[in-house]
Amino acid sequence: MGGKASHLPKESLSEYQELTFLTKQEINEAHKKFCQLQTRENGPMERVSMQIIMTLPELKSNPFRERICHVFSTSDRKDGSLSFEDFLDLLSAFSDSATLEIKSHYAFRIFDFDDDGTLDGEDLRKLVNCLTGETDDARLTSEEMRQLIGNILEESDIDKDGTVNLSEFQHVISRSPDFVSSFKIVL
Amino acid sequence: MSVFPQPGTSLGNQGPTAYELQQVVEKNTSELVSELANLSDRARIQAIRSLPMSYDDRRRIRSRAISVKTSKNIFNIDCTQHVSRSFRRIGASVASARQWLVVWHGTLKEIGGRFGTSVLSYFLFLKWLLKFNVFSLIINFCFITIPQIVHAPNISNVTGFRGLELLTGVGYFNQSVLFYGGYNGEVIVSEPPYNMQLAYFFTIAAYLVLCGVSLIYSMSRSFQKNFVLESGPVSGGAWRLLCSWDFSVVNEKAIQNNKNNLGTQLKESLSERLQMKHTMSVSERMKYLSLHVLAWLLSLGLAVGSCAGIYFLGIDQLETSKLDHNTNDLTVEASTLLLPVVVSLINLIVPLLYSLISIMERYSNPRAKIYIGITRNVVLKMSILGILCYYWLNSVPQKMACWESFVGQSVYRLLMIDFIFCLFGTFFGEFLRNVIGTRCVPSLGVPEFDIARNVLDLIYAQTLAWIGIYFSPLLPVMQVIKLFIIFYVKKFSLSMNCQPPKHTGRAAQMQTVFIALLFFPSFVGALSMVAYTVWSLKPSNYCGPFQGLQTPFDTILSWTVYIQNLPGTHWVWWIFENMLRNELFYYLVTLIIFVITYFLWQITQGRKELIRTLRQQIVNEGKDKAFLLNRLQNTQKQGRQKESFRNQEFDQTPHFNPNWINTLPLDM
Repeated sequence: MGGKASHLPKESLSEYQELTFLTKQEINEAHKKFCQLQTRENGPMERVSMQIIMTLPELKSNPFRERICHVFSTSDRKDGSLSFEDFLDLLSAFSDSATLEIKSHYAFRIFDFDDDGTLDGEDLRKLVNCLTGETDDARLTSEEMRQLIGNILEESDIDKDGTVNLSEFQHVISRSPDFVSSFKIVL
Repeated sequence: MSVFPQPGTSLGNQGPTAYELQQVVEKNTSELVSELANLSDRARIQAIRSLPMSYDDRRRIRSRAISVKTSKNIFNIDCTQHVSRSFRRIGASVASARQWLVVWHGTLKEIGGRFGTSVLSYFLFLKWLLKFNVFSLIINFCFITIPQIVHAPNISNVTGFRGLELLTGVGYFNQSVLFYGGYNGEVIVSEPPYNMQLAYFFTIAAYLVLCGVSLIYSMSRSFQKNFVLESGPVSGGAWRLLCSWDFSVVNEKAIQNNKNNLGTQLKESLSERLQMKHTMSVSERMKYLSLHVLAWLLSLGLAVGSCAGIYFLGIDQLETSKLDHNTNDLTVEASTLLLPVVVSLINLIVPLLYSLISIMERYSNPRAKIYIGITRNVVLKMSILGILCYYWLNSVPQKMACWESFVGQSVYRLLMIDFIFCLFGTFFGEFLRNVIGTRCVPSLGVPEFDIARNVLDLIYAQTLAWIGIYFSPLLPVMQVIKLFIIFYVKKFSLSMNCQPPKHTGRAAQMQTVFIALLFFPSFVGALSMVAYTVWSLKPSNYCGPFQGLQTPFDTILSWTVYIQNLPGTHWVWWIFENMLRNELFYYLVTLIIFVITYFLWQITQGRKELIRTLRQQIVNEGKDKAFLLNRLQNTQKQGRQKESFRNQEFDQTPHFNPNWINTLPLDM
């Protein structure tokens, strides 16, 4: 699948083009990067482990890097390792031409830390902690955190069940136009 | 889109058996496949791409959809294959064309990686303007300049090149194709004959129309994306901050910085929410209101004052330049630079005064402050340009022999001096501010990159370029070179001197505002000035393509008279006579546009009503869900109680709406 050849065969390239939002150049670039990552793996492997994926400069400092790997991994062992197709999926979701629906879907799954299909208070707390700095004047106190999560739920939890589900999340996203332009990773 | 199965959503804790689950999944998949098979090729590819599943699942769905489709219509295979092949070929060529067009990919990525999307938007705007100007340069060069050069190289230089011309545009450039005066409106004898008057007129007109169309297009798209969606009853302060986390930032330090900023912003939004609850007293409100009024009076006064200054300076220069005719004198030539320097100085200093004024005001939210700052600066810049246009169109034509060239040269000088001031401003404004902030007064810190100010400067320069397009057809050359240099200078200054802005978010909205500004006062203003010149002003008698005519538009009139006599072109004359010169036609067009606008407005109102109802339904559904859960718990509890006390009876009747399932939102 990933292949050790430096060039992708033409048929698979056109299939990749058809099934992802990436252009030919982007797929070739991704393939080159992925082959480089593969050579750092011990022995020939189809999947690249999470630790090695996270050394990519585009992901290295990302606060959600582990979540991103877990969400896009199709590994049976749930270890966050990525095959080339998973890697393309990742880049496709974060590409310029991906639709709002795809982007918000994956954003939801990335923010859903316990993988239970809804964003509850605990998920939101982790999300805010991921996004705020460690310095004293940036860290939220527990009182502020409680208030913030209360506000968030008040804004977005339309059916008042105490959690934010996917459609509620997409509703929020559709009203923050900056999301599409900032949910983007370019190789 | 509702049929797409959504993995990750929990199926409740009732726990259907694995077999049932599998069946449900299979049923969903086959529904999806049959729906996909009914779509056209293009739509199917797009729909499969948008499935939120893993790559292998998508591939499976795709092969199933294709096999269903081929089994359905065997006869159509040739056609679909043909279509899909040509589709793929077009896609590939578009992609390769895009790769050719994507300049500065690496640089832009680097900027986005360090400073985030909001700063990147400035550079994208710059790149967009650059493309615009390259396009207009190509058009003007091909249809006006090349025929003129080939036909009659009109170079009768009295003076040699001295260097100062680069700034002033007179002397060596005076009779060159850079300006209006360098063209003559002869008919170039060829087969078919090439009429320079018509070429000049139609090229400028076509360029302006194309500019207008592309501006309206990008503006409406941007509006649709960023404003319409946003209107809603809930103010999403905290969510907006969380959702605008910039994944494209890859620099370690920048990410730390972003995190700290986000933390501070979240705290601010919390405290704002608390503050909103306590209301201001009447006296306080009066105080703020009077401060606002004072600030507006001051800023408008400054704008009016600078306009008056510019106007009288221009009139004065016009008088003195008439007195001495010795054009070879360097000091006289240099003195023409006085007006552009004054204008650029005003553009540099008055915005600083405006920001001083805004310090004394107090706004409830920072966004209002930004928008009011932008409004004041736009008013200043546009009134300066307005007074300049008035001076050029009203005072200059009576006093100059070749007034169009004079106006072209004035615009050229303004652009050049503005460019130099921009470079100096980058150096002194950002570099020195950085040195002061880091060495002398550490409390000031490293300066932020002021996106609004920089974008407004770009809009100002572009307005000038549009105004000058009629008087100096090769002005886009200047603009292209200028933008190209500014891109690198700003990038360098950004990475050396600046830090990313602290208040992020709303970048997309700002982008829309900037495009709208570029359209409304800027493009519309320039267009009306050029239109006024073409329709109502008498062109100069001894230079330029329209010499000897009453107005430049007369060339079209004489052309239609000529065309009337040609066989086979009668329809052109008919269109001209019955549509373009007919008031009734415009009246009808306006009426139709009004009717369409009214219909669209009504549709929007209807949609708003629908959204409101749907939201209400979601709320109702939530209530129903809570009620049902409650019921379930009660029943369970009672069941347990019944186990212990067997003789207890139910007396509660279910009183929830049995049709609650109909209140589900149709398609969110």
